[in-house]
Amino acid sequence: MRLKAWISFCLAILLFALLPAVIRSEYLLNLLLMFFLYVIVAQSWNLLGGFTGQVSLGHSAFFGTGALITRLLWTAGVPIVPALIAGSLSSVVLAVLVGVPCLRMRSAYFPIGTLALAMIAQITVANLFPLPGSLSSGYLTGYSMLSRYYLALVVAVLTVAVVYWIVRSRTGLALVGIRDDEAAAEAMGVRTFKHKVFALMVSSLLVGLGGGIFAYHQVSYYYYAPFELSWSFLPTLTTFIGGLGTITGPILGAACFLGLSELFAISLGEVHLVVFAATFILVVLFVPGGLMSISARINNFTMKLMRRIPGNPADHGADP
Amino acid sequence: MGQTLVYGFLNGALYGIIALGIALVFGVMRYLNLAQGSLIILGAYGILFLFHIGIDPFASMPLIAFLLFLLGGALFKVSFSRLIMLPETGRIKNSLLISFGLMLLIDNLATLLWTGDERSITPTYSGLTLGLFGLRFPLIGCVGVLSALVIIVALHTFLARTYFGKSIMAVSQDYEAASLLGVNVNFICLVSFAISVGLASIPSVLIGLKSFSPTVGIQWFNKGIIVVMLSGIGNINGVFPAGLLLGIMEAISVYIFGAPYREVTGLVVFVLVMVLFPKGLFKRQEL
Amino acid sequence: MMLRVEHVDVRYGDLQVLWDVNVEVSEGEIVALVGSNGAGKSTLIRTIAGLVKPSDGAIYYGDTLLNDKPPHAVAEFGISMVPEGRRLFPKMTVLQNLEMGAYLKKARPRKDATLAWVYDIFPILRKRSGQPAGLLSGGEQQMLAIGRALMGLNHFLLLDELSLGLSPLLVKQIFDVLVDINRAGITLFIVEQNVPMTLKIADRAYIMETGRIVGKGAAREHMESEHVKEAYLGMS
Repeated sequence: MRLKAWISFCLAILLFALLPAVIRSEYLLNLLLMFFLYVIVAQSWNLLGGFTGQVSLGHSAFFGTGALITRLLWTAGVPIVPALIAGSLSSVVLAVLVGVPCLRMRSAYFPIGTLALAMIAQITVANLFPLPGSLSSGYLTGYSMLSRYYLALVVAVLTVAVVYWIVRSRTGLALVGIRDDEAAAEAMGVRTFKHKVFALMVSSLLVGLGGGIFAYHQVSYYYYAPFELSWSFLPTLTTFIGGLGTITGPILGAACFLGLSELFAISLGEVHLVVFAATFILVVLFVPGGLMSISARINNFTMKLMRRIPGNPADHGADP
Repeated sequence: MGQTLVYGFLNGALYGIIALGIALVFGVMRYLNLAQGSLIILGAYGILFLFHIGIDPFASMPLIAFLLFLLGGALFKVSFSRLIMLPETGRIKNSLLISFGLMLLIDNLATLLWTGDERSITPTYSGLTLGLFGLRFPLIGCVGVLSALVIIVALHTFLARTYFGKSIMAVSQDYEAASLLGVNVNFICLVSFAISVGLASIPSVLIGLKSFSPTVGIQWFNKGIIVVMLSGIGNINGVFPAGLLLGIMEAISVYIFGAPYREVTGLVVFVLVMVLFPKGLFKRQEL
Repeated sequence: MMLRVEHVDVRYGDLQVLWDVNVEVSEGEIVALVGSNGAGKSTLIRTIAGLVKPSDGAIYYGDTLLNDKPPHAVAEFGISMVPEGRRLFPKMTVLQNLEMGAYLKKARPRKDATLAWVYDIFPILRKRSGQPAGLLSGGEQQMLAIGRALMGLNHFLLLDELSLGLSPLLVKQIFDVLVDINRAGITLFIVEQNVPMTLKIADRAYIMETGRIVGKGAAREHMESEHVKEAYLGMS
């Protein structure tokens, strides 16, 4: 199964990489870029929320900060790569400054604290930068959709790879232990606070990078747009539906969200959010593991069936 | 300055009554209902509708309270009742997520049905003020404070004097022990939740008489949660004074820093409380 | 036969904690369930009270099957429980705790008379009636917990680990009170780690080890048994 997942993942990357050679539609490239962006935001959130159990409702603040710094630097003449790095680093700085006190609270209040932060950030930025910015002619002529597309793809792959690598490492084991039972993990000697901070920092770094790409992509730019709370809700919604605490979950959820979104975009614009909200509630109630858990359950069921067959090496025998 | 304080006081009363709904649910069953703000707005739309067919907002309040009560009960039965079995951290997290989904659902449904336009209910007495001690007291605000006080006293009596009310308090302190004494905890939680949604009808009227749109619910929730944190988790009596305190603090900061930073005051207070008292303002007595 | 526990298994997810437990309690008896820490005694008593659902088997109180009943229904049917750790309402006064004890419909009208009776049994509670329960000493809290359970006027009382954290003198006092309560007509099913004290007041006893009943019979017999002496009377 592991091998199958690897193969499909690499095939997908290959597919996305080769797509622009075949398809010229700017609309489709744009759509896929948004998909990559959603994957970045959701997967980075997932590291903190799905794997470490700290549900952050304030990721829009980190996304927005990355976007803001990147945009400011880039439109001031700094080349895009340093600007992106600066943007993502500033997102980490914000995370350490305000996210860490949130982590010190009783873990149940972390979501509320981060939500409050996101709201403060949104209001402050809206007050400081009320007017939209745009790109000067020099930037406009040099604007290449293709380079942005590949940038987003690379960062998306990077995000998934980084999260995957962390989760598979010993640190990842500690994070999951914290999620499942923080008191037990602490008792076993895991430095839970340090690990939570680590997850927060990596998560904010990656989502800040995503913010930078968002800023790089936009022509006319509303500074408060990436700070909007929907960028906080998005990773939560999509990861939940796709499967919390799985690597594929955020990707699946982002794909579903975007796909259905576009499908509904022709009809009443807001319906898809209603549908998603309803789906989200149903998933939390009935399928807390999201879509991924459904496939896991099918696997489990098949395993159990196989154990019933006598002589099967998977059969360990019943307890006395 | 005095005038600013008056407005701060009246706002504070509104915050307090919003917070009461949130505090009741959180105190009894450790659920955080992010959708409380959206439910308030829903109520406001209801009052708007009744206003258009000729019913005065304050007169329609009891009906809206009742309808919200029923809605709250239904919502609880359908979604939140499953969470009772979880331990405390699981409840807070899951109730947050579910109510978050609920909030999105209600907000977007409202936008679909009634557009994102800002609304306001304007009866003939909208702008009336009372003049006292050289200060202007808006009539609506005063009636609002009075209604809030009446409801709070009624709720307090109910909780302290009736067996049902006492069992609500018992459940909030130790639901397992309460169940062993014969208290039907599920039912208590259902009714408490329904009451808290019914309580949303008072802010519905007051906010309806100011202005509202489908997505502003969360901003009112935010005020409420700040007040709840200020007064201390599980402390239902301290909620109203804490609300007044927040209202006055905001008024003072507006006076000093100017209007745009009013929203920021509350949130900064919140963050300060969270940072300075990370374990919550009041410790629960351990046995 | 008031209480019959028949072939009860209890599982938490995939983990089984009770195996084929059979227990009987007749009206008017004091029956003890003893065993060391973690043997599963509390699990059994919580299952009887309705806080835990049995995975297999049946629990009868009189003719009523208790398996699927929630705790408040079990209380209505006649079983009260004094839970482990007392579980008082910390912000309520002694009096308010006792009043909550009389929540059951049948107990409410007789509340004042029952209160007087409980105060007679535990005079210290009358003295402390206005104090918040959280401020009482360990022994006083235990008395309040028992008193609160008595307010429900049920004839069957489950008691979970009364002696935890109490001095031997207090434990003796409380156990003497239990005998009085029993003489007043209340059947007692006591779960305890303090074996010698419990066996002194019990009519019959069951011994539980790692989730199974490994011994039963008259209390006196147990006190003589070598196994019990070795395993349990060495530790008290």
